Amino acid sequence: MNIYLPIAELSVNIFIILSLGGAVGFLSGLLGLGGGFLMTPLLMFIGIPPAVAVATSANQIVAASVSGALAHWRQGLVDIKMGMYLLLGGLFGSFTGIWIFKLLAKAGQIETFLAIVYFILLFSIGTLMLIESSQVIRDRIRKKTVKRKLHYHNWAHRLPFKTKFYSSNLYISIIPPIIIGYFIGVLSATMGIGGSFILIPAMIYFLGMPTSKVIGTSLFQIIFITAFVTLLHATSTYAVDAVLAFVLILSSVIGAQLGVLFTNKFRGEELRALLAIIVLAVAIKIATDLLIQPDDLYSLSVIKRLY
Amino acid sequence: MRAYFIILISFFVYSGNANALVIGSDLNEVTIGANFSGQDVLVFGAFYSDPSMPRDAKGDVIIEVKGPSQVLQVRKKRSFFGFWLNSSEVTFKEVPGFYYLTSTGEINDDILANNNITLLTKQATQKIEWGKTRLPKERHDFLSALKRNKNNLGLFEINDKDNQVNIIDGNLFKTNIPIPNTVPIGDYKVSVYLLINSELKEDYSYEFKVKRVGIESVIYNLATIYPLIYGLMTVALACLLGWVSAEMFRRLRKA
Repeated sequence: MNIYLPIAELSVNIFIILSLGGAVGFLSGLLGLGGGFLMTPLLMFIGIPPAVAVATSANQIVAASVSGALAHWRQGLVDIKMGMYLLLGGLFGSFTGIWIFKLLAKAGQIETFLAIVYFILLFSIGTLMLIESSQVIRDRIRKKTVKRKLHYHNWAHRLPFKTKFYSSNLYISIIPPIIIGYFIGVLSATMGIGGSFILIPAMIYFLGMPTSKVIGTSLFQIIFITAFVTLLHATSTYAVDAVLAFVLILSSVIGAQLGVLFTNKFRGEELRALLAIIVLAVAIKIATDLLIQPDDLYSLSVIKRLY
Repeated sequence: MRAYFIILISFFVYSGNANALVIGSDLNEVTIGANFSGQDVLVFGAFYSDPSMPRDAKGDVIIEVKGPSQVLQVRKKRSFFGFWLNSSEVTFKEVPGFYYLTSTGEINDDILANNNITLLTKQATQKIEWGKTRLPKERHDFLSALKRNKNNLGLFEINDKDNQVNIIDGNLFKTNIPIPNTVPIGDYKVSVYLLINSELKEDYSYEFKVKRVGIESVIYNLATIYPLIYGLMTVALACLLGWVSAEMFRRLRKA
């Protein structure tokens, strides 16, 4: 059965969209990740124009992070003050991101740009996850327990404009959260991702936040950043497809809930190894698309309709 | 299940000439709804002439369908250190969003060109912005790339092989125009020409519309006319769906 997407202006098989949303949702529920970094490239693989894929993905992440943030909120695991500083940087970052996006779209390089940044991102995440999870699996086999540091002291603790983050029990400068937020905002607007897989390690290692507060706080700020990115795309690239978003949201929330049910059935490190392999496969597909000579060197794009 | 509401467009009766055209279509509107996946539009008509006359003397019928005009860019990729990146581009300021040409028999290209029956009319060709593409060979490659890419999308087709336009009982003809799901919305012009001894003797044209209906049209209009309201609504819908799903599954798990 086909469904016509009014903004993408093409009709797609609804079951492909449902299974894509369901699968990405399942993985995100299983692993506690946003999944935007898989959603956007997969949407482009099935022929959704890059602008629509990025803008609609951002809209889908709004729903996914609202759903996730509520659970953390109820348990008081959101550091609102930290979230606000991240958000402040993020708002400026998303303006920059949209500006970059429009500039590259105008120059006809947005697809290449997305292919390159997605390749770099997915390849590094995939590799890191694979190394990390295989080490944990190896250590488990050797029955070794790894001691982790509880608190990190680094340059982030020596910058000016220090303030107290009571919820996270931190006394650090506001500059690092704003810079991290800015960077995530740029990524969110250009790539259609929430950026939790960068934000979470950054919050733990750079800001030294307690791990219990990290996920809730990151989800909290991602809601607002992706909502803002959706608005910016809706008003500047006109690429948010409400029909596509609706189908993706429905399938991904159900997928995510199913994923949560399965979390106890598998070991975390094995799941991360599985995801690492999926991520690397997507990265390799993107790279080969860039490196292999295309069947047709010429491509067509509609600039404007005249009616 | 398609409703055939037949519109008999017009009669042409030449005084002293046996040849004339009558045409009609089964639709004057193609509507794009949620489950639109393309549609055929039937165009039919008759040579208004003496049935006893031989077929050749009646000439050939050419049917041309042109969609709304668009600005298109064709980009060419080049290898930069092993990476295939877009390098040069040509902007076509005026290209029909859809072009379909069919006829009762093969038509000489010169006749079509002389009568401006082509994807890019003389006026449109003058408006092409070639950029740094200067060599005639390169320009020709861009033109064929335009046609090839539009053809792959089902938006450009020249179908002048025999029997594409069916002749029934010597005087009636009919053909189907395949409208693909990638079709742009707007006004479509169907022109029917009668060609006798390499000369265009008669032409007739009428228009039909391709438009969005229902939720598809509401969403598209909102997104283009009130983008901020549309953006706020999509965000609100996402928040609502996220909240409802979280609540629903929380209660399900408790139960």
